[in-house]
Amino acid sequence: MATQRLWNSMAAQGVLHNKVRNLLQITQKRHRVKTKWAATHPKLSATNLALQNFDAMYSMQLGELWPSVRVSLLSERKYGALVNNFSCGDPVTDLQSLGCRDFIASSSTAADPFSPPYSGSHQFDQHIVNEGIGIDLARASISPNVKCLVFPKGDTSRFKPARLDSAGLLTYYLMDAASVLPVLALNVQKEESVLDLCAAPGGKTLALLQTQAVRFIWANDWSGSRMSRLQRTLNSCLPHDLLSEDKLCITSFDGREWHELGENTFDKVLVDVPCTTDRHSLIEEDNNIFSRSRTKEKRNLPLCQTQLLLTGLQAVRKGGEVMYSTCTLSQLQNQCVVEQAISLANQELGITAEIVHLQPFTTLFKDTFHFAPDLNVGAMVLPHLTANFGPIYFCKLRRLS
Amino acid sequence: MIRTCGHQVVRWSLRLSPGFALKSALVEQNARQLAYACRMCSHTQESQTSRASAQRHGSELSLRTLLDMGFTETQADQVYEGATKILGRKSVTHDTSTITALLALGLNASSIVKIFDKCPALYTEKGAVVQQRIQNLWKLGLVEGSIQRVISYYPHILTIPAKRVNAAVQFIRTKCLFTAQQMREILRDSPEVVEEDLNELEHKFQYAYFRMGVKQAEMVKAKLFKVSMEELRCRHCFLERRGFYQTPDKKGQTLIINPKLKDILSATEDIYLSQFAKATKEELDVFRKLVAREDEEKGNTLEHCDIEEDEEEAEEDLTDFKRGSMGQLGYVKTKRKK
Repeated sequence: MATQRLWNSMAAQGVLHNKVRNLLQITQKRHRVKTKWAATHPKLSATNLALQNFDAMYSMQLGELWPSVRVSLLSERKYGALVNNFSCGDPVTDLQSLGCRDFIASSSTAADPFSPPYSGSHQFDQHIVNEGIGIDLARASISPNVKCLVFPKGDTSRFKPARLDSAGLLTYYLMDAASVLPVLALNVQKEESVLDLCAAPGGKTLALLQTQAVRFIWANDWSGSRMSRLQRTLNSCLPHDLLSEDKLCITSFDGREWHELGENTFDKVLVDVPCTTDRHSLIEEDNNIFSRSRTKEKRNLPLCQTQLLLTGLQAVRKGGEVMYSTCTLSQLQNQCVVEQAISLANQELGITAEIVHLQPFTTLFKDTFHFAPDLNVGAMVLPHLTANFGPIYFCKLRRLS
Repeated sequence: MIRTCGHQVVRWSLRLSPGFALKSALVEQNARQLAYACRMCSHTQESQTSRASAQRHGSELSLRTLLDMGFTETQADQVYEGATKILGRKSVTHDTSTITALLALGLNASSIVKIFDKCPALYTEKGAVVQQRIQNLWKLGLVEGSIQRVISYYPHILTIPAKRVNAAVQFIRTKCLFTAQQMREILRDSPEVVEEDLNELEHKFQYAYFRMGVKQAEMVKAKLFKVSMEELRCRHCFLERRGFYQTPDKKGQTLIINPKLKDILSATEDIYLSQFAKATKEELDVFRKLVAREDEEKGNTLEHCDIEEDEEEAEEDLTDFKRGSMGQLGYVKTKRKK
């Protein structure tokens, strides 16, 4: 199959790369520390390595914005309360009395007359004729029914743990509010089928289900253990009738092998790929992707991400839409992957896809999140102390053939 | 003591020479103050060893005595009122020896009025005790000029027992390894340091020394002990997390040039934000709240971390919902394993 050849060629490139590296390694051995003589072995924790890595990369990429992002990543993050529409409890009134508001309902409807003209050479979404109409239509073209409450900008209050209602379901689910954005932008319409290719731990899957517009959802993740966590989350939020097999399917396959399971079938696909999880990598030492044992895996990430996105493009029907998202700031894992996937899909698989412009979408939420300016491909939420959400990158693709 | 008085008389006369006709009343007042003080000084000089005799020479506090000492009517009123408020009408048998002691230092009436105003507790102190404390400060190195300034700025120091003052000084010198000269400067610039809880003091010192890599000389120049721990930590951490300050490694090296502690602490908030942190006020305000909460939860214990290592961030493990363990949901912080 074409796909198999593609994987083989990509893997071969990797092998060649490794061979060259081995040669380099032999030379380097001479300069390595002689452990039996060295008094102390240089010990840099993985979180330190991550921070050094980010300092080098993002100071260039973000320039003057980097210090504000850096301090936010190293400080307590902000959460949002995703309301569980299936719960009989009403957390909204209580939360609102504490000062929260649903950022989706209160999104900006007024068109900003000073917003810059659309940049880039990408095809415009045909709905968007002028900004005023554009914003209204953008508001109409986000996934429905999702409610997510957050504390206002600058407010550092914390949410209390969610309570269970009389039916034993959670009234809300705490997650990074920025993670809801890719789900909203995917614009799940009535009775659509959705594939969530890398679903664990399940926050976005849950948000998809909250739209109440999904006819059928397939949630998959390579990690079996994380999928059981997703299962538990869904069990705690959803009534039994929604967990039936004709509505929901949970699997743990390798997303890159999806072509074996069927192509061209879904209306919408969400590809929330594994990445360097920037915020997490700065705090959590255990199993950190920047640790030396995982160096190879980390180096392999862009390739893996591209493969997953290609799978997504194959799995979606013609005219359907794919949402690519990560929680890293790195261009190599974001824009570069999207561009590479589009190009490869075109060359190797005969699939043409276009990038859907997200500026009307992000304008809706500019009062809640800090978006990175001047992004041609996709949109990115930057952490900021007053709105310490993210980092989240997301990009919408539409399959044309 | 008499010599000091003599010097002061000379100083006053020099100051008075350029046509002070208009201020003749003031001149007269000052002269009277000095004369009185000199009289008291000479008495004190004679009976230096006996505390009681100093008291013998103090007269009863009354408006008359105050006027005698050189206070104006308004000033005398103020002092008398202040004293009676603290001591009660009945027991205004207190003497003026405290005032005498202050006068002997060369402080004028208006300064003394301000001192009592700032520190009404001083009315309750016995003159002899105050005199003893002044001498103790003298011995600690607060010399001519400094001692007056310190007492005017922080009169409260005269209500603190010499034992306590000496204990604080001893602690700072032995635990924090400041030189005698540095100690004198600390006393001069931040006399309030003698009242601080010694553990808090050590905590602040260790934070600056280990966490920020600042040495004693720089601490003194930066007047470290004038700043609260909260403000120090906030300003430092804000810079550090933004990437503008690094803890030096074992060799004392950093990859960037750290701004000087003096500059960080003395800058106004606007300058600090624009020049050092390159941030907005909103960010700093939010950060201050976050750090205060972090400290509260960490129990404010300073870990003696290796200079190489980055700041230990308390791990935050949210999102994971565990059925039934509702209490664990939310912002569960667990200490990161070393």
